[in-house]
Amino acid sequence: MNVRFVLNGKPAAPDAPPAARLLDVLRGALGLTGTKEGCGEGECGSCTVLLDGAPVNACLVLFGQVEGRAVTTVEGLGDPAHLSPLQEAFVKEGGVQCGICTPGFLVSAEALLAAIPQPGETDIREALAGNLCRCTGYQRIVEAVRAAAKERTSREPG
Amino acid sequence: MSLAELPLHAFERPASLSDACATLSRRAGKGEETVLVAGGTDWVVSQRLAPLSLGGELPLVLDVSRIPELLGVKIAGERAAIGAAATYFEIRHHSALSRRVPMLTAMARDVGALQIQARGTLGGNLATASPAADGSAVLMALDADVVVASVHGERRIPIGQWFTGYRRTARAADEIIARIEFTLPKTGAHQLWRKVGTRAAQSISKVALAAVGEYERGRCVRVGLGMGSVGPVTAALPTVRALAVSPGPLAVPDDQLDAAVRRDISPIDDVRSTAAYRAHVASALVRGFFRTLRPVSSAG
Amino acid sequence: MALIGRSVPRPDGPAKVTGRARYVDDVTRHGTLVGATLRSTVARGRLRGIVKDPSFDWTGLTVVTAENVPANVVALIEEDQPVLAADDVRHAGEPLALVAGEDALKVQRALQHLRADIEPLPPVLTVADALSRSAQIYGADNVFRTVHIAKGDAAAAIAACPVQLSGTYTTPHQEHIYLEPQGVLAFWDEEGGAHVLSSCQCPYYIHKGIKRTFGLTDERVDVTQAVTGGGFGGKEEYPTILALHALLLAKASGQPVKMIYDRKEDIEATTKRHPSSVSITSGCDRDGTLRAVSIRIVFDGGAYVTLSPVVLSRGALHAAGAYRWEHVAIEAQAVATNTPPNGAFRGFGAPQTIWAMERHMDRIARTLRLDPLLLREKNLLRVGDTTPTGQFLKESVGVARCVEEAKKASRWEQKRTSPAPAASGMFRLPPPGAVAARKARGIGASVYLHGAGFTGSGELAHRARIAVDLLADPKTGRPCFRVRGGSTDIGQGTETVFRQIAAEALWVSMDRVEFATPSTAAVPDSGPTVASRTVMIVGGVLEAAARSLFARIEGDRQQKGGSFEDAARRLLAARGTVTVEREYEPPPGLAWDDATYRGDAYPVYGWGCAIAEVEVDLDTFETSVLGLWSAHDVGKAIHPTNCKGQIEGGLLQAIGWALQENLVMREGRVVNARLTDYVIPTILDAPRFTTLLVEDPFSRGPGGGAKGLGEIPMDGGAPAVAAAVEHATGIVCDDLPLLPETLFALSKEIRR
Repeated sequence: MNVRFVLNGKPAAPDAPPAARLLDVLRGALGLTGTKEGCGEGECGSCTVLLDGAPVNACLVLFGQVEGRAVTTVEGLGDPAHLSPLQEAFVKEGGVQCGICTPGFLVSAEALLAAIPQPGETDIREALAGNLCRCTGYQRIVEAVRAAAKERTSREPG
Repeated sequence: MSLAELPLHAFERPASLSDACATLSRRAGKGEETVLVAGGTDWVVSQRLAPLSLGGELPLVLDVSRIPELLGVKIAGERAAIGAAATYFEIRHHSALSRRVPMLTAMARDVGALQIQARGTLGGNLATASPAADGSAVLMALDADVVVASVHGERRIPIGQWFTGYRRTARAADEIIARIEFTLPKTGAHQLWRKVGTRAAQSISKVALAAVGEYERGRCVRVGLGMGSVGPVTAALPTVRALAVSPGPLAVPDDQLDAAVRRDISPIDDVRSTAAYRAHVASALVRGFFRTLRPVSSAG
Repeated sequence: MALIGRSVPRPDGPAKVTGRARYVDDVTRHGTLVGATLRSTVARGRLRGIVKDPSFDWTGLTVVTAENVPANVVALIEEDQPVLAADDVRHAGEPLALVAGEDALKVQRALQHLRADIEPLPPVLTVADALSRSAQIYGADNVFRTVHIAKGDAAAAIAACPVQLSGTYTTPHQEHIYLEPQGVLAFWDEEGGAHVLSSCQCPYYIHKGIKRTFGLTDERVDVTQAVTGGGFGGKEEYPTILALHALLLAKASGQPVKMIYDRKEDIEATTKRHPSSVSITSGCDRDGTLRAVSIRIVFDGGAYVTLSPVVLSRGALHAAGAYRWEHVAIEAQAVATNTPPNGAFRGFGAPQTIWAMERHMDRIARTLRLDPLLLREKNLLRVGDTTPTGQFLKESVGVARCVEEAKKASRWEQKRTSPAPAASGMFRLPPPGAVAARKARGIGASVYLHGAGFTGSGELAHRARIAVDLLADPKTGRPCFRVRGGSTDIGQGTETVFRQIAAEALWVSMDRVEFATPSTAAVPDSGPTVASRTVMIVGGVLEAAARSLFARIEGDRQQKGGSFEDAARRLLAARGTVTVEREYEPPPGLAWDDATYRGDAYPVYGWGCAIAEVEVDLDTFETSVLGLWSAHDVGKAIHPTNCKGQIEGGLLQAIGWALQENLVMREGRVVNARLTDYVIPTILDAPRFTTLLVEDPFSRGPGGGAKGLGEIPMDGGAPAVAAAVEHATGIVCDDLPLLPETLFALSKEIRR
């Protein structure tokens, strides 16, 4: 019996073993390679996806555990023709260098902005503490999230 | 890496606690191994580190992360019960717990980072029984009870008897941790959670202290302590506790306190830290806590 | 519409932020097998053979050992390293055999059923051991390379100085922890041509290695760089080995092979920063005027030569720091040990020797009771000075401004004196009876330099090439341009900056200029993406090529009229794609003698000043870096945000090296090969950066004077942090890392 869940807003039921890692099912059977493997032990956050809106490490979730739940990956956040404010901000503010950690950061940042639309620096850093970056020194990532928060609020009506 | 074997495990998601107990009991009776997985933050990592099995039967994976009886936080009067599969995220954001047990909230904030908090559970960490588990230190300080369930009913095991050795527990093969119960610290109790780790987040503790001091009529009547990463099991610090009650926190000279700490811990050198450093920090944290314990004036 | 100096949005950004950028493990090819490596668990021994367990089912599996390797050498500076160990094992983790198969689990099982028959030998695990020649593991004396630099008569000059000070300073391994582990996809075509898709910095290094091992000619080998998730030097030379392994399996199996290291294998088996021990004796006046210095440097190279000679060279050439010395004697050795070979890592020897010099300057300041930055400012190199190799500094020495700006931004003077600093050498005990967490703040600084481009005659020898094409857009037919070079973008922004440089020189908008994926079949060899040379050297050649192409189009326009666009169309119609390819021309007057190590070591230097403010917990000795102010002379900031990103990233790597990163080895094996146990800074460990860019242009730098930048941020972060810790606590630490355990142990010594 295939595991059935909602992936980036659409129903999915790939043929994959329930004890496989969610990360491997996303990258393999589902062909969504945006979620990355940096360590395989829940330390680096490169594999961060949203599970019912909460950021989790896909390398530690067993596929069968997402039955009936909603998973969001970086592919669900925007596409090259329509970047979200967060994605644009990362590109503009220097939040992206080699890019391998970027999908994980974007997913975590999306969850943050959903919970705290106008986060302070402490909120941002705490929310992203489970995402490692070796290229940027993090400051530009913080700036990107701040810029996106401002942009999103200014877009909202009223 | 035995991660390659992971997909081969059989996987079941029992709908209720009694279903889970029945499966466990049946398998334990035949000597078949079952792994209970909630967040996977211990077990899946261990699969990555472990070598390939030698080719025999793989354990059955039981997903207990959504069994209703294992979820939630309930407070009734002065007793709290945390479901074994309640996540650190839930614990952290529970307002009554934050009010009455701030050391628990502070600990939950220090576990890994958000991604781990969304998945990690007290039940999972108790079952793994690593002496570095942050939650275990807080439960030790609370003198909590671990309630396990099986087809024979429930069994209550005080936390001091839960850890039987390095990564070993009093849980029988057919038992599943159902919840953790404890009495809420008295209003006005002093509480401390301090974790000294390898960095500011996503770190395993080198030393961690959970501490609570309760007062009655101006006297310290109980000090609960739990210390992580200073021995094969979470340390309860009994000698130190006794000193807190008599002669009392401010009447104990530093060197006597240090000696009591040294008596109660057995830290080692490992890849993360040294025995000497751990002993020093353990003393510093305990001394730091004791200095916060001031008698409440009898005038209230 | 100037592009130079503007922080344009990264063109490779959209693919990266949508998860569409394809790193090597994201690429699939029909029929690809999984490859894995059997590695030695012992540090030294004689390899008697590899035995396949006959009771295991080997069908569908391909096994390769040394005897299957046509030329069993990894072509680099020397050819001492085998692709697979043949008779000797020289380090733990050394590759012994390779296995490929369809099923990852079966491949892992196969590794379990391969037994390496190794007769262990006593390993040489320390430099001291190696130099004592307890065993011969390389040549006659276990020394890979020696470098001597001499200016004047240092020994005599020191002896004549009123203030003579000595110190020894050490640094440990450092692991790159690029977030994308090493990986490769390789296959052979029907004509016997080799194809490799690699996560790498230097496709042409891999190309060279494949030609040598398989005996192939240029056009039979095609190496393409995949989008690469970080390198920092760790993907400079190592990917050649991985490519050779995958090609061996692909050849033996007849199918494509993908090999992706998991994090544990990556940490255990790939190259690390060279550990170092540097001893300095200096002579100066009582007022702090520096006179003479004698420096002895020893680097641990690990088991094979790899790049140790060049790392040593750069380390030696930076050892005297950013200062003016009348007399200098530097003696440096890279030594062999039975540990995994060390290799390139951002800074490439300079962070090690600059750590030593900066800590030594603090020693001098401490002894003479001078403000550490005033001492440095008094002795900074200026235009008109000569370096230890006798190089006359003609231009672009912005270091004094860097110090001035960093001091101002950080409020150095106030923070240096208030609160009162700890007396150096006396551990500042927390006040007794204090209830709140007891912490102390301090501020410390470092000043440093980094030579841009290859050392000495390297650039001349290499003659980097790059091409700019005028071509018709396949979809619209419109004239557009393409940059073709071997320089890779590994996150540092090569694609962005090269497109800026080309577009500016061509007077077109950036979206008219493409950057070709570096693939050896399609692009010329621009040299490796290392040595802080990509913008300054290769970008300079690119600018010249683009200007030349512009001139050609403009020439046609002036002759035949119409617009630039019209002229471009005419040229395309007449000859199809128009290519201008250019080769590096060294600046006139540069001279370097490899035999005597005298002359112009680098065309120009970058300069920097880093100031760190820390808070140390006086009970737990945990150090938080509260702020990091830096000013770097980059010549010209072509893309300011990019520059700042590189600087902040490099400074944080230096902070990690200083405070948290600790590679633990036992018996020559890494025992903490996991991200849980080898810890790099999280966002909560990172300070607030104030990043100032100083521009003292280099007359030969593109964009109006750009100099190298990629490595310099790694050079000064660690000593600035150590100096700040000293200021806060009184603890003088001359050895990295400043782990809490180390500071604790030191505090006990000086309390006594």
